[in-house]
Amino acid sequence: VIQNHAGPDVTEVQERSKSNLDPRSIYTCIRCGTCRSVCPVLEDQGWESSGARGRMLIARELLRGRQIDRDMVNSLNTCTTCSICSESCPAGLRPPDIIEGARRELVSAGMKIDEHAKLSSAIKLIGNPFGDLSPRIGWLKDKSRLKGRADLVYFAGCFASFRYRENASRTFDLLQRFGVSALRDERCCGSPLLRTGFDATTVTEHNLGQIRAIGAETVIAGCAGCYATLKDDYPHEFQVLSVTEFLSQRIDELNLATLDITVTYHDPCHQGRKHGIYDQPRKVIREICELEEMKANRNHSRCCGGGGGLRAGYRDISMRLAKRRLDDVPDGVDYIVTSCPMCIRNLKEAGGGDKVIDLVDLLAISIGAYESERSKGVM
Amino acid sequence: LLTQIIGVRDEYHKRMIMEILEDLKLIVGNRVSVSPAELYCYSSDASSVEGKPDYVIRPLNVEEVLRVLQCADRYRIPVTARGAGTGLAGGAVPLLGGIVLDMSGMNKVVEIDIDNLQIHVEPGIVHEKLNQVLKPFGFFFPPDPGSSAMCTIGGMISNNSSGMRSVKYGTTRSYILDLEVVLADGRVINTGSKTLKSAAGYDLTRIFVGAEGTLGVVTKARLKIAPLPEHRKLVIASFNSAESAGRAVVKTFSSGLVPSACEILDRTTIQVLKQCDSSLPLPKCGDVIIMETDGSKTTVGESAQKIMNICIETAQSVRVVSGTDEMEEIWAARRLVGASVTRLNPSMSRVYLGEDIGVPMKQIPAMIRKVEEISERLGLQAMKFGHIGDGNLHVALFIDVLDEDYWDRARCAADQIHRAGIELGGTISSEHGIGAVRAQYMIDQWGGALDVMRAIKRALDPKGILNPGKMGL
Repeated sequence: VIQNHAGPDVTEVQERSKSNLDPRSIYTCIRCGTCRSVCPVLEDQGWESSGARGRMLIARELLRGRQIDRDMVNSLNTCTTCSICSESCPAGLRPPDIIEGARRELVSAGMKIDEHAKLSSAIKLIGNPFGDLSPRIGWLKDKSRLKGRADLVYFAGCFASFRYRENASRTFDLLQRFGVSALRDERCCGSPLLRTGFDATTVTEHNLGQIRAIGAETVIAGCAGCYATLKDDYPHEFQVLSVTEFLSQRIDELNLATLDITVTYHDPCHQGRKHGIYDQPRKVIREICELEEMKANRNHSRCCGGGGGLRAGYRDISMRLAKRRLDDVPDGVDYIVTSCPMCIRNLKEAGGGDKVIDLVDLLAISIGAYESERSKGVM
Repeated sequence: LLTQIIGVRDEYHKRMIMEILEDLKLIVGNRVSVSPAELYCYSSDASSVEGKPDYVIRPLNVEEVLRVLQCADRYRIPVTARGAGTGLAGGAVPLLGGIVLDMSGMNKVVEIDIDNLQIHVEPGIVHEKLNQVLKPFGFFFPPDPGSSAMCTIGGMISNNSSGMRSVKYGTTRSYILDLEVVLADGRVINTGSKTLKSAAGYDLTRIFVGAEGTLGVVTKARLKIAPLPEHRKLVIASFNSAESAGRAVVKTFSSGLVPSACEILDRTTIQVLKQCDSSLPLPKCGDVIIMETDGSKTTVGESAQKIMNICIETAQSVRVVSGTDEMEEIWAARRLVGASVTRLNPSMSRVYLGEDIGVPMKQIPAMIRKVEEISERLGLQAMKFGHIGDGNLHVALFIDVLDEDYWDRARCAADQIHRAGIELGGTISSEHGIGAVRAQYMIDQWGGALDVMRAIKRALDPKGILNPGKMGL
């Protein structure tokens, strides 16, 4: 009765091993459960299948060729890919990478959820996940500001291009001071496709063509999801920076006024845990005003629930995660600042409202105050 | 014909499963699952054992647990209680299928009673969270397993867990005043009281602690707590052999000193840790002893000095650490040491086999030598570390998990390690439990006493539905 089968049947693995599922990573998981203590979805749902360890076990069953059922699909698709499990894994595994592989396996077997399939179609057909047919670069009134060739380009991303156009415009105004241009025909970076197991070649190839055509050596992303995707999933032909990184390096040239306010900062998972961008936004904020940290911050930061396809597929869970994140906000702060439009949307909708702003918005307030003081001759 | 018989049997099995499911739904609503996804996820713990349940249930109160057990008793279905599933011996794996009771949702603090030095909790509360609750009161629950961040108190009770500080504070068993337990037929009993001691009859609490859910399901626990020490210091000493390290430890204890933790990290472990992080504040080589003292500022200072004086006679190097951050860094590295080898070499993983041997403290160097002989003979690498102060040696064998030959050699090594431990007058498990992986050694460990355990099992669980296939019962 006792089966000592934590190790694989090697023949079985050889037969079933597929490029999407890496047997070594899957079997290296010793199921210690350390990720149980941090997974936000497990905390919300309670069932083992809703945590990182459960998903690793389901990936193992996929590798073993088990028949896929709807609950396995839901388990794998409820991961936010926030990577807090990778942060704590004593074996150094990165469960979100394995989960993304398992999602690709599901998609290739035709097991996808409707909401993700709709996103995929919209992106492939129209170039953005909203299926929005309006001009993507509508946020830029004066198209003559775009250059034919540029070393530095701003990659606005779908959210800024279609949902937060003022933010895109404000960001571009700031970046243009440093000779940054933008792509004439940017499309979705491919993140929603890649995170949910779909093929993103159409859009990544298109964007790559645009970047090559303009001759950019550095792409500056305004969205944490775009940033991580451009950095991890595109060929390493150009440098990728986040707007936060770029501006923090030029802080002395921004003409900032000090504001008598206190803000807190929410670390977007794909910028923070995935790429270690913790100090740069804090440097910018401290230049402007007081920063009071959230209860969980930097690499321990809780996910807003907006990423990894969770919001698209499982809105109720996503909202509860965002509400839980808002519990970490210190009392009395004037703004909740972050650097990712997906986080902004989720935190706003979960109750954060107008208090939730982008780092660029904070910069704009500070620069506005500086200019106003200068015009009054105070400076 | 055989295919037909199997087909009929499977069909009958499926029908029964669905019929019983309806009964279970009446008890816990949608907190019962038969989804393949869930069944896969509850088929393992952190051991190398697998067994798929037929149902997973997440009860929220004692009423639900007792009704589930009454149902299981009626249909003679196995019931395996599980906390966080972090066990290393297959204790929470449903070997014969049936129901897995996921107790992690029963995680409330019922009462904090500081005046009576106790706290009353449900079993699903996580150890670290329990201590976070107690900290503002200046108290703590002393047993401290390495899995503190995720393991539940129920799991700790069922495995009599302990950890690094058991050398001074004792194991979980020493801190249980009373348990509310649901028996196999659904009866609910209390095994103790609110008092800190009792001489009234058999000590039932001690029977249920370490029983791994084979005698009943714990639904509440009244825990004794201790005041948090004001200060701590570490003495870190490196020796040129495990024997020399062992002698320093024996001398420390025989001098009347009782460190609050007393750990050994053998030279292989030190090499792996330093290769993972060269900045780690540990000696570069040798067999290393870490001894912690806790208490008032004066006591801690004096004890640390005395320990240092003892170690300095034979050690290659000795130093005292008193900075909180540095101490935390050292303990964090110690806690993660087992899995750290994978960070160094992704093709090698630590496996939990033969990992929890215990021998009399003085025999630790001999046990380390035995493990070295066994691992060398089988061509395996092994880190040896553990709680030398209470004789608990953790062996971390590392293997390529995709290589079946490695698995065979590791199983062989584990077998020899267990037998060597018994030969040295030790125990096959100091704190991780027996579960399924060590069940075969229970007869060698206990001889006739195992029959007494079996008699207790029969008396409390005559139908054998509680966690069957475990502990050699």
